[in-house]
Amino acid sequence: MKEKDAYVDFEPQQLIMYVEKDDGTYGPIQTGSYISKNYLDDFWEKTMRLRKSLLEKLKKNEITPVYFYKLIHDFNDVELSRRTGISVRKVKKHQKTDGFQRARLSDLKKYAYAFDIPVSNLLQALVVEDNEDKPESEKNEQSVIVKQTRTENPFVVITKIELNKK
Amino acid sequence: MIIDSFKHNMAAHCESGTLTALLKHKGLEITEPMIFGLGSGLYFGYLSRTPNLSFPMFILRTKPGKLRKKIARRTDIRFNTQRFKSEEKAEQELDRLIGEGIPVACQVDFYYMDYIPQWERVHANIHFITVVGKEGDEYLVSDSYFPKLARIHKDNMRKARFAGGYLAPKGFRYYIESVPESISYKKLIPKSIKNTINNMIGVQPPFIGVRGMRTFSKKILGWPKITRDIDHLSHEIMKINVFLEDQGTGGGGFRYLYATFLRQCSEILTDKDLGEMAKKMMEIGDGWRNISYFAAKIGKNRDLGQDKLKELSKMISERADAEEAFYKELKTVINNI
Repeated sequence: MKEKDAYVDFEPQQLIMYVEKDDGTYGPIQTGSYISKNYLDDFWEKTMRLRKSLLEKLKKNEITPVYFYKLIHDFNDVELSRRTGISVRKVKKHQKTDGFQRARLSDLKKYAYAFDIPVSNLLQALVVEDNEDKPESEKNEQSVIVKQTRTENPFVVITKIELNKK
Repeated sequence: MIIDSFKHNMAAHCESGTLTALLKHKGLEITEPMIFGLGSGLYFGYLSRTPNLSFPMFILRTKPGKLRKKIARRTDIRFNTQRFKSEEKAEQELDRLIGEGIPVACQVDFYYMDYIPQWERVHANIHFITVVGKEGDEYLVSDSYFPKLARIHKDNMRKARFAGGYLAPKGFRYYIESVPESISYKKLIPKSIKNTINNMIGVQPPFIGVRGMRTFSKKILGWPKITRDIDHLSHEIMKINVFLEDQGTGGGGFRYLYATFLRQCSEILTDKDLGEMAKKMMEIGDGWRNISYFAAKIGKNRDLGQDKLKELSKMISERADAEEAFYKELKTVINNI
């Protein structure tokens, strides 16, 4: 690769590329990430869509929190088992809605550690709603409101944080 | 405290970058491509049956840790390595070494390196950083993928060093005890290149080397059947670009780094033929780069019908042909040295 073709202006993600320099020598240059500069918005859109669709399934009790976070972290059953120390058989069971209710608190603690979240987040989904664009009449007096609502999933509540900036 | 004498530099790849920085700190002048090449780091593997993977992936360099082991075996560089069962002992030992002014390389789960942008951080127990200081509850680390020295809280460091799963680090750390005054490049270069040639075109399983590239080119046509939906397929296809360019390869799936190694070898051995092979390897890298651009484009556009996947498959297959011819020629060149 020629040096002039290698430069990408993307400061948040820098990396080292080896190139053929203008003087014919080969060596490293510091540049930006091509894919992050050009396709990061697509990555976030896909991530948000996946999270939303999983959250809907979680609310309807079609999936369990273990399955939700397993997909978010891109683990498979074997990897999750290795990271938690819970047997593969149990990991599979805890991803089924009737199996999740038999999980022990100590199991949830292990899952939470592997997913890098507090244990409480396995049983609640945090949703932030920014009401900035809503008409003034629909905004609440309080600038921040925290609401908890039940879902069809007996183990999961939605904790919604509403932001009402005036 | 901070080890002031340690010079932080970014590098193409975390393992070769960490190793190069530690060797330089110890007084041995050596480049990252030379470390990568002498450790026979270049590789190809299409992994579809590894139990920990949620989706097939391809690898472009040897198993993590192998580079250092080969360097240790082939040179007189002496490493001090250790794994731990106890998290406390691992932390105490790390603190002790830093206190003595010794920079220490640690194997970590990349996910916990919270100074790295969020979109980059994935669970991978194969990342290497160098710890060069500690201030309060924070370690100062030199990471090849970050432009300056970074800080990481000791709790995160502990999680990163003791993450479970495939290739779990188990607190692994190493530092360099001693380096030789010089390295006998003339002896080592042919040996390390022959090893790479064997990895790529020697007798290998069908998922390794150029045979692995051909397996990859065939299997990619079946990816739509093993993905959840079009977004998932797009994500996996676009990861081809990430694996080839962004995940510490120096571009073109390590091929540019290896081309630079071959160029340096040609200068050391004053061998013009090796210089020509370096040029050819650069061109092979360009072909991989075209694949990565193409994959990113069709992934973004969700243009993932069989026609496009066949085009992608053909491009990968052409790389296999080009690399097979290249290593055969390189074998002749090396045998004549």
